[in-house]
Amino acid sequence: MSFSLSAAAMKRVEELVRRYPKKEAALLPILHVVQREKGFIPREAEDWAAATLGIPPILVREVLSFYSLLRRAPAGKYFIQVCRNISCFLAGSEDIVKHLEARLGIRAGETTPDGKFTLATVECLGNCDHSPCLMINDDDYGPVTRDMIDGVLKGLA
Amino acid sequence: MVNIQIDGRPLQVPPGSTVLKAAEQTGIVIPRFCYHPAFEPEGSCRMCLVEIEGLPKLDLACSTVVREGMKVWTSTPKVLEARKNVLEFFLADHPLDCPICDKAGECFLQIYYDQHGRYASRFLEAKEKKKKKIPIGKKLLLDRERCVLCTRCVRFLRRVTGTGELGVFERAVKAEIGIDEGTEIGNNYSGNLVDICPVGAITDGDFRFKSRAWFLEKGRTVCPRCSRGCNIVIQSVCGFPLPGSQRKIYRIVPAENQEVNGYWICDFGRYGYQDIEENRGKAIAVNKGGLPEGKTANWDNVLRELAAEIKAMSEAGRARRIGVVLTSLLTNEELGICRQLFVNVLGVGEVFFADPKPGESDSYLLTADRAPNARGAAALGFTPKLPDLERLPGSLDLLLVFGPHLLDHFPAADLATAFQEISRTYLLAAHRSALDSLAGTVLPTAVPAEKRGSFTNVGGIVQSFERAVRAPKGCRPEGEILTSLASELGVELG
Amino acid sequence: MSDGKPVILPADENSFRLEAYLSRGGYEAARKTLLEKKPQEVMDEVKKANLRGRGGAGLPAGSKWAFVPQTGDQPKYLCVNADEGEPGTFKDRAIMTRDPHLLLEGIILASYAVGIHTAFIYIRGEYEAIARRLEDAIGEAREKGFFGRNIFGSGFDLDVLVHRGAGSYICGEETALLESLEGRRGWPRLRPPFPASVGLFRAPTVINNVETIANVPLIFRFGAAAFVAAGLPRDGGTRLFGVSGAVRRPGVYELPVGTPLRKIIEDWAGGPAEGQAIKAVVPGGLSAPFLRPEELDVPMDYESLARAKSMLGSAGIIVIGDRTPMSEVLKIVARFYAHESCGQCTPCRIGTTWIRKIAERIGAGEGAPGDLDLIRHLAEGMKGKTLCPMGDAAAFPVLSIVDKFGKELRETISR
Repeated sequence: MSFSLSAAAMKRVEELVRRYPKKEAALLPILHVVQREKGFIPREAEDWAAATLGIPPILVREVLSFYSLLRRAPAGKYFIQVCRNISCFLAGSEDIVKHLEARLGIRAGETTPDGKFTLATVECLGNCDHSPCLMINDDDYGPVTRDMIDGVLKGLA
Repeated sequence: MVNIQIDGRPLQVPPGSTVLKAAEQTGIVIPRFCYHPAFEPEGSCRMCLVEIEGLPKLDLACSTVVREGMKVWTSTPKVLEARKNVLEFFLADHPLDCPICDKAGECFLQIYYDQHGRYASRFLEAKEKKKKKIPIGKKLLLDRERCVLCTRCVRFLRRVTGTGELGVFERAVKAEIGIDEGTEIGNNYSGNLVDICPVGAITDGDFRFKSRAWFLEKGRTVCPRCSRGCNIVIQSVCGFPLPGSQRKIYRIVPAENQEVNGYWICDFGRYGYQDIEENRGKAIAVNKGGLPEGKTANWDNVLRELAAEIKAMSEAGRARRIGVVLTSLLTNEELGICRQLFVNVLGVGEVFFADPKPGESDSYLLTADRAPNARGAAALGFTPKLPDLERLPGSLDLLLVFGPHLLDHFPAADLATAFQEISRTYLLAAHRSALDSLAGTVLPTAVPAEKRGSFTNVGGIVQSFERAVRAPKGCRPEGEILTSLASELGVELG
Repeated sequence: MSDGKPVILPADENSFRLEAYLSRGGYEAARKTLLEKKPQEVMDEVKKANLRGRGGAGLPAGSKWAFVPQTGDQPKYLCVNADEGEPGTFKDRAIMTRDPHLLLEGIILASYAVGIHTAFIYIRGEYEAIARRLEDAIGEAREKGFFGRNIFGSGFDLDVLVHRGAGSYICGEETALLESLEGRRGWPRLRPPFPASVGLFRAPTVINNVETIANVPLIFRFGAAAFVAAGLPRDGGTRLFGVSGAVRRPGVYELPVGTPLRKIIEDWAGGPAEGQAIKAVVPGGLSAPFLRPEELDVPMDYESLARAKSMLGSAGIIVIGDRTPMSEVLKIVARFYAHESCGQCTPCRIGTTWIRKIAERIGAGEGAPGDLDLIRHLAEGMKGKTLCPMGDAAAFPVLSIVDKFGKELRETISR
């Protein structure tokens, strides 16, 4: 049961661990590094993070279960988060969700069988003046329409 | 001291006290789930809210520190309404398990509902379904539906045992207590989790479904399984399920003693109530000699016979050929009688000690010494030494052995050989053992829980205790036996 | 800044780079202040400017800073709260995207005033692209010697680090932010003690919203008096009002504190969306009590909104049109708080989900006659009794919906 990251990621982890007065504070930052590289937080990474920071593994697992952006299971190559809060709802987010479900053939919360797309419905993304809005990985899209989404999806390799 | 008022009554409390502690001084118990005196205030259950004059919002009694002139109100309509509100939230998602839940009768939710609730439920929705009966180690079971997330269990394992097996996972209403994957609670203090859980979320498989809490009779005493002398409460039932049923002990829980064991006991002591129940000698047995042919042995005639034997040897100047094997399981009072009778008055030849074999100590309460009163014995001038089995037979004609613990140190075969050579041997023990067939006469005694007396613990603290449970019929405390013997011998015990 | 008035957002949306910022006079105020003024003077000037916190609570920034003890030599920290999770709020995104250096300059000044040498920007995990822009800006500034040792040759050391959250609204609450930054679950802390005395890593800590800090350089560029004049006497400066929902021109509008709400919606945001009339308005982020159409003349400042029994909060204005059933709005509001409750304290953990379940039942056509009273009872039961302000945040909007739109909801139920 060993865990390794690319050299660049390890370097980043070392920088992160160094820069906090207490090592434990680097937990979220290094989990982000892991998820960026692996697409999720593998079980071995939990123990590795605990060992790296000198904390009990249970604390890592507690944290993982608390934060909604951290994943313990792989997601699709493209992680689509559609906002369903007030302003986006008013602008038609429900219709966008239905459209994506139909287009991708999955329900919200699921991943396409080819592993390309994961669809999630989320709370406010802080982009309310571009409602209805969504994110695909780190990129913001909004205001989105059915056609626009189709165009974006087509362009994603 | 700080001057405050609680419900209009003036009170002086030490500076730094919390409102909750101050209220306790006047006998007011403010309801709480997450607060436990062993830990820093947590503030998450919100049950202990009280009104402090001059402040717009209610404040937590558990964490608010008293200030000079503070006026606290613990039962205003606002406070009572808040308690009802908080209770309503607790109960909304709580399963109606009372009929099958071990905690019934001592459950905080039940108690507070009775005191502060008494409203009809307005919850029409589906309750959250969670896993019940999750094994978390030893015989403990976690029921997530019953859990009120007071986190006492998590904090106990992080701050008292330092083992941290439990954590809080997930968020919002899905938040749940859980055991770290692939681990289980295995430390020597796991039983305390059941005590501190305010509801039936953590239950003990050892107690599960065996008795209702309100049937249990409680007797406070001192645990005899090591030299710490933790204060315990033995909970038992007599006459259940049928009148006339034997006494049955269901569990042992800690009694608070800040000088000795704090709020806790170890599992070795907690689950040691088997010692009180199992394998008890209940009848006098005469294997050889000791009574004229045809006579049925009873306490009176056996003790009279023993007294006669001792008197005969003493008058013949052969008291030096009487030997006694004592044990540090005897109380100070009993050991005192032994010293007076055997050493001072009779001048017996040898006084030996046979104690349970030492075990591993943990670094907290459990000591390596597995007898409760070694320090008491030492304080009375005894130096513990085991007999030399080679020399023993040749030097003694009468041997009195207290307890079966010679077997902890010598093989039964060697003891058999030694005993064979001694004309008269008496065994006074609470438990049956291989020694029973080796001794001439066997007298069944009581265990410490069935006696009153005192032990001196490893730290030199003398702790007196009353009888916590009745001895089985036919068993007698050693103190009683020795007093009768002394009386037969005409010896003043003083 | 282009016309000499203290304004946060630069006119040009692409002027976020260091050269552009320098050409606008950027970092001059920080340099002069660090070289010419003492920390106490900086704090006093900020107090004079009546800069109130722009995260939601509205505490005067100068007073907050003054709570930090100046004795002893333990480290002190600044945490810039860039978690921006309050629905209807997107102003900090605008600041960090369009003018990151303004924020950084504000961090220098705030840290200097309080004697802080390490500042963290806690930014929500979803703002990854913005976090990178901040890190680029910090890199630019550091290269110029604006961060690191002996800034501007003043002898003052300061470093700033970007720390990403991971998806949790509650981590925008001050003490939950600290817990999260320290590597734990975002469970708010019991107070007292307050962060000013026991904060990050148990050291004295100042926590301020992005917009609050971004205003600080303006105070020193234009002076406290001009800053106050740009707003109201007790509430200086501009506010970045985010307008979204059923309006023609959603967006961030930087206007003086005290601008009437109706003016913002109608003059600046173009009024309600085509074919709709305004039914309800959230004035200060979703946690603020809703306002009815007749209540929209209220000036957008802390005191006026408090008098109107609502709050300025994060100044996130959400306009709900008459095409939207309030039962749907209620569902979304209830769902949001139920999802984001951290679970630590009983009233919020249970109450938010209970209310959500009732709201969903109403929305599904299965409402019962006593439901609205029950929701009110539960929200009142949470109010003032939770460990952190989120209990109130969950209760206020729900109470206002039930109280002010009860007629419509009752019609939905009886249908």
